[in-house]
This record gives sequence, C-alpha cells and structure tokens, in this order.
Amino acid sequence: MAGLELLSDQGYRLDGRKATELRKVQARMGVFAQADGSAYIEQGNTKALAVVYGPHEMRGSRSRTLHDRAVINCQYSMATFSTAERKRRPHGDKKSTEMSLHLKQTFEAAILTQLYPRSQIDIFVKILQADGGNYSVCVNAATLAVIDAGIPMRDYVCACTVGFVDETPLADLCYTEENGGVSSLALALLPRGGQIALLQMDARLHQDHLETMMEAAMIACKGVSKVLDEVVRQHLQEASALSRD
Amino acid sequence: MIKTERLLHLKSSRGRKVRVVREHYLRERVPCYSALCQADCDNDGKVLPGDLTHYVIPDVGIVLDFLEILEFREIQGIIFTQTACQAVQHNKGRRQYNRLRNLLKDPRHDCVLFVNEFQKYSYCPREKGESQEKWQTRCVYSAAVWFYNHLAGLKDIVMVTDDSEAVAQYSSLNSGVYVISMQEYLHSFWSDVNAAHELYSSIVQAVQERESEGSEREYQEHLPPEVLEAGIKCGRYMQGILSVNKHRAQQEALVTTQGFSNKSTGLSCDVLVLGVKNRNRAVHGDSVVVELLPHSEWRGRTTALTEAQGEERSMEDQNNQPMPTGRVVGILQRNWRDYVVTFPTRETQTQSRNSQKILTVPWDHRIPKIRISTQQADTLQDHRVVVRIDSWDSTSLYPNGHSVRVLGRAGELETEVQTILIENCISVPPFSEAQLREMPVVSPERPWNPDPEQVTTRRDLRQTHLVFSIDPKGCEDVDDTLSVSRLPKGGLELGVHIADVTHFVKEGSLTDQEARARATTYYLADRRYDMLPEVLSANLCSLLGGVDRYAMSVLWELDSASLEVRSVWFGRTLIRSSYQLHYELAQALLNGEDATVPELNQLNPEEQSQRLAELTQALETLTHVARHLRAQRDRGGALELEGVEVRAQLDSEKNITALVPRQPLEVHETVAECMIFANHWVARKIQESFPHQALLRHHPPPRQEFFSQLQESARARGFTIDTRSNKSLADSLEQAVDPQDPVVNRLLRMMATQAMSQAMYFSTGAVPADQYYHYGLALDRYTHFTSPIRRYADVIVHRLLMAALDLDRGLSSTLASNRELEETAQHINNRNRAAQHAQRLSTELFQCLFFRERDPESDPSCVSDAVIYAIRDNGLLVFVPQYGVKGPVYLRSREGEVLTFGADGHCEWSSGTVKKHSDHITTSSLSGSTTFRLFQHITVRISVQSNRCHADSLNLEVIQNAPHETSNPDLVPTQSKVQLIQEVHRQAEESLQKASVKPKLSREERQYCQSKQPNLYSLLEEIRELSLMDEEASAKKLCATTA
Repeated sequence: MAGLELLSDQGYRLDGRKATELRKVQARMGVFAQADGSAYIEQGNTKALAVVYGPHEMRGSRSRTLHDRAVINCQYSMATFSTAERKRRPHGDKKSTEMSLHLKQTFEAAILTQLYPRSQIDIFVKILQADGGNYSVCVNAATLAVIDAGIPMRDYVCACTVGFVDETPLADLCYTEENGGVSSLALALLPRGGQIALLQMDARLHQDHLETMMEAAMIACKGVSKVLDEVVRQHLQEASALSRD
Repeated sequence: MIKTERLLHLKSSRGRKVRVVREHYLRERVPCYSALCQADCDNDGKVLPGDLTHYVIPDVGIVLDFLEILEFREIQGIIFTQTACQAVQHNKGRRQYNRLRNLLKDPRHDCVLFVNEFQKYSYCPREKGESQEKWQTRCVYSAAVWFYNHLAGLKDIVMVTDDSEAVAQYSSLNSGVYVISMQEYLHSFWSDVNAAHELYSSIVQAVQERESEGSEREYQEHLPPEVLEAGIKCGRYMQGILSVNKHRAQQEALVTTQGFSNKSTGLSCDVLVLGVKNRNRAVHGDSVVVELLPHSEWRGRTTALTEAQGEERSMEDQNNQPMPTGRVVGILQRNWRDYVVTFPTRETQTQSRNSQKILTVPWDHRIPKIRISTQQADTLQDHRVVVRIDSWDSTSLYPNGHSVRVLGRAGELETEVQTILIENCISVPPFSEAQLREMPVVSPERPWNPDPEQVTTRRDLRQTHLVFSIDPKGCEDVDDTLSVSRLPKGGLELGVHIADVTHFVKEGSLTDQEARARATTYYLADRRYDMLPEVLSANLCSLLGGVDRYAMSVLWELDSASLEVRSVWFGRTLIRSSYQLHYELAQALLNGEDATVPELNQLNPEEQSQRLAELTQALETLTHVARHLRAQRDRGGALELEGVEVRAQLDSEKNITALVPRQPLEVHETVAECMIFANHWVARKIQESFPHQALLRHHPPPRQEFFSQLQESARARGFTIDTRSNKSLADSLEQAVDPQDPVVNRLLRMMATQAMSQAMYFSTGAVPADQYYHYGLALDRYTHFTSPIRRYADVIVHRLLMAALDLDRGLSSTLASNRELEETAQHINNRNRAAQHAQRLSTELFQCLFFRERDPESDPSCVSDAVIYAIRDNGLLVFVPQYGVKGPVYLRSREGEVLTFGADGHCEWSSGTVKKHSDHITTSSLSGSTTFRLFQHITVRISVQSNRCHADSLNLEVIQNAPHETSNPDLVPTQSKVQLIQEVHRQAEESLQKASVKPKLSREERQYCQSKQPNLYSLLEEIRELSLMDEEASAKKLCATTA
C-alpha cells in the first residue's frame, strides 16, 4: 500500500521535478591536499566524499600484483550519521562489500590500468548523507577524484539511477522514490563512446521496458557528464590561475 | 529550478519520530491552464475558458467536504490547488482522490489543477508552529493571488473557504481576490443551481451530525492498516470482497477471497460472516479483512427457501456442512456508490432522539439502512431518493449519509426505471452541445458525401463488389454488411464490411469520452440509451442501401474446393450496399421461393431476373461457406445454448407490433457465422501485431462443480451429461431430448448456461496466452469487431486493427499500454454487466407492473403452466415458459403448514412434513401426500408481492398438481412480453390522463426506424450473454438455497 503518488497526472514527482530532470548537482575537486586526488559531490541531498591514492606500489599482499596493469582497490562506506537514524556501520558488511565491488568493476573499465603495471590505485568513497542513488553518486565522486589525481581515464564515468513508474522512466531517484516500490536500475556510462561500464538492477521489470529504461538512463548520464565536465574545467581554471600567481 | 528543502517530521517504522529532509524544487514556469494566460504557459490539455465571470479556488476544507458540489457541471472555472489534492489523498483515501482525479481528467467539466507548491512565487514554506490547516489556507490564498497577478488582473479570482478567520484575514488584502464562504459563494454566483444548494445544506447537516456523535460503542474498532497488512502477509487475516446474501441481508455475508489461496490454513474457499456484529460496518462490495473464528464456531449456510419478507429464521445448520466462518476486523477500501432509498411513512418513523434524523431503507436489500438528516422528511414520504453514505463510526448502529436528489414517488414507472439505472451506476445524460458539435452536419438539404480525400485513400469497393446486408425487417442501423464473389483466377472472396465508427469518433474527442464512459448501448425493456449520438448510429455509420458509406472491411480469399483461407486482407474501404435484405426475404430467395426484392422493382423484367440470379447465387455461396465454418467450429466443440430468442415485427409506421419467436432460419446462422469468423480473424491479427496490448474476449471454461445440478437433473430424466469438455457437453446436450416434452431440453440447456462462467474482455498483456480460449465458441482467439455502433470494445478493436495495419506499413502509432487497456477492459466488462443487470431488472419491473393491475383470483392470465427445474428443502424452483419467469414455490409455510392435494386435485394447507429426495419432493399431511418430480408440469398462480422500499416481486403459488389445460406454453413464449410492456405503458398513460406521455424514445424509434435490437446476430449474442449473466443472479439465488 504505497500511499505516495510518485508521479502525478501533471507529470510532477514528489519533490517537484519532472520525470527526466536530475537533482541539483554541486561538486568540488581537490578538497584534501594530502591525498593524490579528492572530490566532494552533492547530488540533491545525497553527499559523498571520494579520495584517491596512487598509482603506487602494491601494499599488503604482493601476490595480488598484476604484471600487465594496475590493481584497483575500492572501498565504500557510509557515515554513521548519513541516514535519518544514526546507525553504526562496521566495515565489511555485505552491502558495502558489494558496493565496493561494483565500484571496482566500474573503474577497471574506465581507468587506463595498463599504463601502470605492477601498481595499485586506491579509491575510497564515503557517503556523508544518503538520499537515494548512493552508487551513482559514489561513481560520480570517484570520477572527479580520479581526474583530480591525474590518472588517465578513457572518459568520464557518469552514473545515474532510473526508476520505472506508470510506464515512465524517472531519472535520478531520491530516497523516497527508491523506497516507494519502484523497480530501479543503475547505469554507469562512458558518455563519449556510449559504452556501458556497469549496469545493475535487482528488481523485476518487464523485458519490453528495459530498452526505454536504458535509454533514459543514458540520457541522464550524459546530463551528469556535462555537469562534471563543467566542474573539472572550473577547477582547472582556478588551479591554473593559482599556479600562475 | 530552485532547490529548497523541506523539513518533515515523520514516524519511523518503529514508532519513533524521525526528522526527514526532503528536497523541494520550485520553478517559475508552471502551466496555469487558462485561456487568458499572458505569459505563454505551456497549456496543453484542458484549458479554462476565458469567458467566465470569475475563477474559483476552493480551500482545502471545501474540497474535502464539498467535492460533490464542485462536481456539478454547472459550476465552471474551478482551479484545484495541489495542496488541496494532497489533502484529499491523505485524509479521504484513494477512492475519493481518484474521484477528484477523474474529475480533473473529464473534458466535460471545467476544472484544472494548479501545481501551486512547485511554483516559485506561489509556494510558501510552512512556518514554525503554524498549524497544518492554517498553512494550507495560506498556500491556497497565495495561489489565488498568484493567479490574479499571472492573468494580469483580467479575471477576478474567488477563493472559497469555510474558515471564518481566513475570510476576515485575507478578504481585504488584495483587490482582485475575493475570499468568501461556501454558502455565500453559492448564493451569489450560482443561485440558479438549486440542486447544489440542496446538496450543500444536506452535507452541512451531515457534517454537523458527525461532530455531535454519541459515544456508546456499537461495533469493534477497525484495526489500523499496518496491522491489517502485516496480518494478511503472515496469514492471520484474509482479504476479500464482501458480498451480502440478498435473501438474508441481516444474517449472511460471504467474503470472496480473491486469488490469495491462503497457504498456511489451506483455505481457498470463501469465508462466511454471520450477523451484523461480525460484519462490523462493512457494506456490500467493500474490500475487507477477515479473521477466522475458531473451528467450533464455524457454521453452514441455510438451504431452505426463505419467504421474501426477510424475517429471520433460526439457523438449521445441524445437517449442513460447516464452512470457514470469520469476522471483519478492518476495511481496506470502501466501495460506496450512490444508493436509492425510500423514506419511511410517518407512522413508522421512530421519533426517538431527534426528529431530523431519519432511517431510510435502501432499495438494494444488501445495503443496511442509512441514517440521514433532513427537514423534508414529511414531503419526501414514499419517495425514492438518491443518497450517499458519509461515514460509519463504531458508535453508530447505522451509517450516516446525506441525500443528493429526489427521484420521484415510489411505484411510478419513471421513478422505478431511474432507480434501476442508478442502482447499476448507469448515467446517461443526453448528449451535450459540445459533443453534438463534433458531429458532421447532416440535413436533407445538405446530405453527407464522402470526402474526396478519403475516397483516394480508401479501397473503393463500390463498383467491384456486390455488397448486401441482412438484418431484421425494418432495421436501419446496419453495422455489418457482407459480400461474396468468385475470383477470376479461381477461389472465393468473402467479405465482411463493418461501419467505420472510428472515422467519425476520433480518439479522445468528447464523443469518444462519452462513448467510453457508457461503453455500450443500454437496452431496457421499453427504451434504449444509445452509446453514440443518433446522427452517427442511425445515419452516417449505418451501412444503408444505395448510399456511399465508409467501412472497415475484412476480405478473405478462400480456396473454392476446400474453403481453406488462402489470404486475408484488412483495411478501410468505401462501399455502397446494393441490397438491404431482411432475413425472411433472404431465406425465401435461398429456398427458390418467389420473392420481390424492393431494390429491383424499377428495372425491367429481364434485368430484374438477371440481378436476382446474381444475388441468389451470392447468398447460396455464402450459405455454403457458413455451413463449412460452422461445421469446423462444431468439431472444435462449439456450444449452442438456450436463450429466449425473439424478433421484433414492425408495422407500416415502424411501431413494434409484436415479437415473434425466432423461426430458426438458416440464414440467421449464416450471418452470425460470418461475424464470428470476422471477429476471430481480427482477433488473430491484433494479437499477433500487439502481443501485449490487444483487446480480446475470452470465455473461461466453467468450473466442473457448477454442473452438478445439471447432471443431477438430467439423471432424473435418464440422461447423462458429459461435461468434461465443451465438445462432449455440446454432444450430450444434443442427445438429451425428451420427445414428449421439448421444455426439458430447453431447461437443461438453461442450466448448462447457468454453469458457464462469463465471457470477458481482457488485454493480452494481462492474461497468460493459454487462457485466451473462448469456450462457448470453441475458438482460440476471439474479440468483438462487428458492432462498433453499440459496443465500445469494438471501437477499440477497430483502432487496434488500424494501428496494426499502420505497423505493417512501418508506421507506428501510440496505443494504450497494457495497463490502461486492461483498465478499459475491466470498465467495459463492468458496464456490460450493469447493462445486462439493468435490462433484467427492467424486464422484471414490467412483469410486476403487468400483474399488479390484474386480480390473481379472477384474471385467467395470472394462471399458467410451470415446470419444476430444481428441488429445495421446503419448496420448488419453477420456470413459467409463458412469461419467461423463474421463481420459487413454497410447499411449507412459515407456520409449518404444508401443501397437499386432495384426490379431486384441490389443494389445501395443513400441518404436515416435507421430505426432500434427489429427484422429487413429497409433502404429507393427514389428508394425504403429494409428490412433485423434476420436470413435472404444474399450474401456478402469479401474483405480485408489493414492497414499498424494494422492487416488487412476483409470487408463485401452486394451485394444481397437473399441467394447466388451456395453456400451450411453448408456442408463444414471449409474445406476451412485448404486449406486457405495451400494456403497462397504456396503464401508465391512462393513469396519468395524458396522451403525450408516450416515452420519447418510441417516437425516435418511429423516426429513425430503429428496431430496439439492431439485428438478430447481436440479439442472439446479447441473449447469450444475458443468459450467461443469469448465472450470476441465479447463483446468488442458489447461494441462498444450497449449501
């Protein structure tokens, strides 16, 4: 008995967006000086912090070393204060392990790892406030951090979640929408080539609708990429202005 | 867009208070949906006209309480705010909210929704410590101000609120925005809409009553929804639809659990709810949650016939199988509609506490008495009134309601017919100006001609094909025509051409909306409510002879020897029907009898005979093809079911003079077979093109246990009925004929029909493919395509077919999605059921009116032959062939006296016993014993049991244990039905002393020569459905009587 009407007859969602509209994205790069790369992103009320170390020599077990490319090590975590009710979240629980793996897969597809054989790149992402679309916000944050670290990538990796309500795909779901019984899909895209780095969905959806969902997700990802691109260019301008001084 | 945040305090699942932050995006451009818009708002869809005197913005409280008044079509220019809509959704539940949504979608109603909370300048965040109501009022006011400014002051805005503080606070703030109360608003702007005023005072009173309720508790409180949902999930409770037993409305109700076979308890059957306390304020039709009672309290159902007075009897459950019994713990969804009630007479009014409160008795037995407050009780005595239920608190024995409008005095023909319409939720206002404006103009001076552009795009069959129609005599709304010809390269071409309604009725137009809402043409015993305006149904869409008409055609190329289909063509065509034949004429031509075809009268004899030969040849080929098709379906197991089939006979003035029983001409079947063939092929086509969103019609196989009565009855006569498949059933029904008594076969077929499930429309995406089968017709796919003038389903199918053809050509068109289509299909199914129900009720009404005027003791027409078709504990169920009436006959009275017949055939009532056996029932008393066997003919006297609050019913009484001598029951089974209708009309007219009261429709019938039923095929179809329908009603009756 989901009492909420996720998409009104007039085409508005709960928070006043239309079906294809993204939440407001604000981001900053280079928030920490000590890490090689870092970024902070707000997508609506979902806030995430990403930090990148590397590429550097393998640490820990050397047996994981790959001889033709770099190893990517991802860690995802959520702050205790990130949800409405404070909750201790120990490392290595199922959900965050899964999320870490997804991130790893995504970035293995995007970073030119073969340039750094026998080395390691660490990506740490922390959700500071969760309001839906955690995975995609993490990917977007990590992309910025990787760029900030100067690690070459094929393209930006942009991610977005899409839900399906009343035969209409909704872009960039917020928490209430995600919990409103919507089948949602997360997609990470390399926008320039249109390659999909990761596609994840664990809800039921009719096969016929998959196509429209993916299309909507790709459009949304391209929207995100535009914003990220702007953020990067702005950051570069600021940085070069600083260095000129 | 600007992002703001909105703080909410919500309760978490564990009951703790949680602070939730939600985003809230505002934008500058929100469409205002006004024709006066100065800022080029993106107004698509419904737009408020600019020529109104004002726009009105109702406050939240008004929308919550007085939505019904805002539903009046007279009140125009309503702007609903999002704030108000959300309040309705939260406070009033989904049903009320959907009503509001439908109102907003309805193009006939001038109202729009303004999304005020997402508009940058009209949104006002809630302040700290501000109450919800105050904030909502402020929001609505700021929306009103925004509107005034947005329209640059061109239109005055009226905000209606019942909050007197708000009136005082806001009314002087802004020049163009007036803030007034509801009463004042209605008085100053709509003083002529009397109905609205009455409704207003009625609602106000109901609201006041609600506030001053007593506190003694009559019922248990309902459980909160979370508890119910959890209970359903873990199997403690069961969910279902409550249906009250019509004959024991006080006592018995069943909850039909829908699809959820409860695994934990292993129950999949229905749950019995006994008594009003256990029913706990649920009303017939509500979706409820029940809790099962312990095993020791389970009861069985009563099987005895009860006297219609509905007095309570002690349960005779000892010998009955106990069934799951439960009590209602909560209601998921109320399903209240408008109810027709009757005010009590003054003597019976209980002047208990407050003379303004009156308990009214609903027409429907299954609905509890409704308490309403009114001052008009005296004037409304013996009137039928429409009421709505507002609430039913646990402190009140009866639900509270308010009156909506007065129908008229009980017992009058018009009132009773209106009652039937309202009880079946049928609303058929005359077509509005705007709808009629969409229609092409046709007048004798300016006859309609095909559009040259259309002529080029359509396939022109006017010269190439010999097209003719076969219909009942005098019928002028022809929606199907046929053609058949030999192809030059060998092979046959069979064509079915259907009126192209979709050309005139564009999707989404007002006419389309209205047709969709009606879904079908409603036929009552004495009148008809058309689905489409007359200009279409009787003229432009009707495929009349000798004029050019648009058609949708299906053309098959058949192998001339094997009659296999080689290819099929669908498409829009232009035809001119050469002959408008009627059945008798066609049959005469086929039989080689001498018959004159009126179309050929002008020609010289030579040409005449040549044309006649041509036509006869075509008819013969057609019959040949149809025989083949029928044989094919018979091999598959098609059923022929019993219905009372009649034909209207018209005199020179096109008045129906009599209904003649069907003389089963072969040509009837030929036409029907061609239509079934066309329907089948269209179904195949659209299903293949749109596997997930095609509208088909299926007929699920019946449940075997329903056949038990049929098998038992047949065994009494020594027949065996094999019900394993439709083929075996058809075969064994074919054989079960008693040469002495043709009624036996008829009754058996009737019982088989009762066992059938109902044929339904569905969307192919919603049902697995193995359930597409049509049991009765033995076809794997079937739909309705051939009568778009009187069925909306056919209109949808036409559109689907056109879309399928576009798809073949590589064009794609937007179609209704599976879900929408399934909703539409359900709606049409519902409407059809209502139409059939209304039709049956109106027939019963006329039967009662007919017999009411007759003295049962002296009038010979009240005595008739009847056949026993079922046996119950204390009586019989009989069928009266002469009037087509079924009903119970009691052998034991309430005082325990039984009916026996003396040696001289005279009956007497005395104390004794009744003993029931499987195929006969014996009554014995001191003066002897009498046995009644199944299929025995007896004589009954028919009288009317009048009932002030409900519909009158017929009372049957045995007067002789032998067939009625004078009657010859089967010769003219329903001739009397039409006479009866005419008779009743005559009586009504006489009593009113007005010659002009002859119903308007019959005049229209005369004018457009429309037969009441358009053609025999549809008539057959309808009767078939009606008899399928009967099953539901009789099943209910049987519920009352069988365990």
